[in-house]
Amino acid sequence: MPELRDELLEQARRAVDLAERAGADDVVAGVGWVHGFEHEWREGKLEKVQETKSRGLGLSLYVDGRYSSHSTNDQDPTRLADFVAQAVALTRHLEPDPHRRITPPELYAGRSEVDLELVDPALLDLSRERRVEWCRELERAAQADDRVISVTAGVNDGHSVSARVSSNGFEGTSESTSLWLIGQVSAEDGEKRPEAYAYAGGAHLAGLPGASELGDDLLGRVRERIGAAKIPSLRTRLVLHSEAAASFLGRVLGALSGGAIQQKRSFLAGKLGERIGSELLTWTDDPLKPRGLGSRHFDGEGIAAKPLPILEQGVLRHYYVDTYYGNKLGWAPTTGGSSNVTWAHGPRDLEAIVADTQDGILLTTWLGGNANMTTGDFSFGFQGRRLSGGARAESLTEMNVSGNYRELLERLVEVGNDPRPWSRFAAPTLVFEDVQFSGL
Amino acid sequence: MTPPLSPAPPRDPLYYDFFGIDEELLRRVFAELMGHGADYGDLYFEQSRRSSISMEDGIISRASSSVDRGVGVRAVVGDQTGYAYSEDLDLQSMLQAARTAASIARGGGGAPPQGFARREFADLYAIPHAWEDVEVATILPLVAHIDATCRRLDPAITKVSVTWANADSRVLVVTSEGFAQADRRPMGLVAASVTAEKDGQVQSGSANLSARHGVEHFDTARLDEMCRKAVDRTMILFEARKPPAGELPVVLAAGASGILLHEAIGHGMEADFNRKGTSIFSTMIDKKVAADCVTIVDSALHPHERGALNFDDEGNATERTVLVEQGTMRSYLHDRLSAKHYGIPSTGSGRRQSFRHAPMPRMRCTYMENGPHSREEIIASVDRGIIAETFTNGQVAIGAGDFTFYIKNGWLIEHGKITAPIKDVNIIGNGPEALGRITMVADDLAIDSGGWTCGKDGQSVPVSQGLPTALVSKLTVGGEDA
Repeated sequence: MPELRDELLEQARRAVDLAERAGADDVVAGVGWVHGFEHEWREGKLEKVQETKSRGLGLSLYVDGRYSSHSTNDQDPTRLADFVAQAVALTRHLEPDPHRRITPPELYAGRSEVDLELVDPALLDLSRERRVEWCRELERAAQADDRVISVTAGVNDGHSVSARVSSNGFEGTSESTSLWLIGQVSAEDGEKRPEAYAYAGGAHLAGLPGASELGDDLLGRVRERIGAAKIPSLRTRLVLHSEAAASFLGRVLGALSGGAIQQKRSFLAGKLGERIGSELLTWTDDPLKPRGLGSRHFDGEGIAAKPLPILEQGVLRHYYVDTYYGNKLGWAPTTGGSSNVTWAHGPRDLEAIVADTQDGILLTTWLGGNANMTTGDFSFGFQGRRLSGGARAESLTEMNVSGNYRELLERLVEVGNDPRPWSRFAAPTLVFEDVQFSGL
Repeated sequence: MTPPLSPAPPRDPLYYDFFGIDEELLRRVFAELMGHGADYGDLYFEQSRRSSISMEDGIISRASSSVDRGVGVRAVVGDQTGYAYSEDLDLQSMLQAARTAASIARGGGGAPPQGFARREFADLYAIPHAWEDVEVATILPLVAHIDATCRRLDPAITKVSVTWANADSRVLVVTSEGFAQADRRPMGLVAASVTAEKDGQVQSGSANLSARHGVEHFDTARLDEMCRKAVDRTMILFEARKPPAGELPVVLAAGASGILLHEAIGHGMEADFNRKGTSIFSTMIDKKVAADCVTIVDSALHPHERGALNFDDEGNATERTVLVEQGTMRSYLHDRLSAKHYGIPSTGSGRRQSFRHAPMPRMRCTYMENGPHSREEIIASVDRGIIAETFTNGQVAIGAGDFTFYIKNGWLIEHGKITAPIKDVNIIGNGPEALGRITMVADDLAIDSGGWTCGKDGQSVPVSQGLPTALVSKLTVGGEDA
């Protein structure tokens, strides 16, 4: 929607102007617009339909060496002018921070113009009937077992456009569509009613699994939960399902942020250029990947996006460093946060790895837990399967897995070739040796 | 517990002027909303102003502010919900949102309300100065005080970051049943995070303090206590280790351990899950699930707590709901939809994150009543186990009943005595089983003063929790080699 991009860009320019006239030395304004629908289906009917329609302005202000950030969705011109004037006045109350400077314009230069293919025109005029049909298909597939108590099928779709303007010469817009199919199922299991979830999504309709395929997957997941129990505590091989791997290893990205390094809250501080784990670890931040959920031409500060090696054969190559923490650390900024992280793949998928595992635990779903990224200690609850003699054995629940990321990254012995396409952090199946599990 | 009714606000008691609306506009919006067969509808007007100030590396270097304003429009037909919102409060935008919400219904027109009677409620969080009127100059020295206090408490502290955040929300709920009520909800939150370095090791920790109070509540005595907690919790980590792995007795220290109730039973008692038959508690009302010493309550009536609410986000009166009475399951937490399904009054538990979200049953302040034992007796009864003191995260699988919470700090108990500190360990158990394994409850109930936030279905709401010291005879501890 080029007209809307232009309109938002013009609104951002006006906001920069307004803040400059109120006394700001430097200003960054971002305007975001979102329109979307959520459809939720249960027991053969629409249980909930929700429309989302939002437009908001965000401002970063640099005033006399001081910094603040603000947001409002109030479009009234008089109230907006008051809001900006108050924001500038508030900033003057703070202390000057020598490291807080607007991103230098040379970092805006060299922006790629490659088509990121983030807009699917087919998603811009979906009918309610089409969404409902997907829900029905998902429900039908997931209900194909007498033990199923409840299935909820959901379709969430949206369209977002944003514009960003800075007082030192940055201008940019972005636009994307999204579609998510979501399923949730509960089944009877004696006194218990175990549940399972499955979802798939992307910027384009093409490439997503069909709704009934997702429903089949969902039913398989809940069947696997029936009769789950805990087993005695043990140390064994961990086979981490790609979906669980993404959230587990994705936490390591937090420990790679300039803020965590500068504030000494990262077990990876001081490790640049060193090997931090298995040689199988090669991660690349790839913002220009077509149709990627994290794809972008520029980051949150306007820094031109380009591929960035993070880990090469286990060696830490770059941190995620924004302008502020770059100034504090005396380092050149890279980018403030991850976009799409891709992995170097191994030769096999989950099934081949399971068939080759004599003894281990396949971890499929996380339940709670946390990690201390200052030390790398972690402890999480999980559900999964015992693996024995190359096949899936007992279903497991109510167990914990604990350890330290520093040690665990060394114990990675295999990387699969099967990441979930709808994860920004595209971890495939992973295998770690000698991991601590607690149960009975 | 119930405070006296406050005098009616002198002007604009329903915030009609504040939101720039009037009864005629409301009538027209309801005519659209109810004109297609909906059997209930409501409008939720909200303006929230939030601001925060941060200090890092000894500099008060960042402030932020935000305004979020709009109206949520809901139509209900049976157990079906249509929802839309508008950020513009003009008639045309609101009519459009009403049309979208009403599209869930397929039928003839109902009669919209002709007037809106104001209902009055007790004020559980009256404060002398609204956050909107507090000068930033009042807050800056308090932020600097926290930074200096943390650094002074231990020379090993090398990094301190302080966040001061407050919110001032005005809310107006108008229903198709012809009621209207307005509320002004304050919230303050202060947090300190510290990093310490000793013998080449680095540890970090934090503490926070939050309430529906004004700036007066955050005095130096309370702030100093928070700083002390942040520093103590961090310094003890240098000596802490992981406990053994496997099933152990777990003593829950008074206060934040209420997270056990929130996860093990609270979510499972939210009636939307039970209406759908997906909670492990779906068939347990009036069944004995725990010992006589176990009475569990979820209440909105504790003045100034994060979970305090004068009325819920559907305009229903709030209450003290007994979930478990002397070991027997008594009541779910209901919103309007589930209450109608079960044919009983709402428990005033319908809450939402903002005008952008439809309400659902949520907890408010969840705690256990005092029991007959003492903390000392409970610790002395444990031969080999742990005591849990501070927590960071909890979760539950509603249907299977498995719940978890993460212990940031705690201690080993050996032969009835507290011995070595422990850290960073997840606890996992099963809700009904864990309730049945609560064998001792002490008489030292404390509601935690921290800033707990509960997430469900993508919506976050502030909650409170509390517990007297209690013993769960067996839970799985995520430690190292058993």
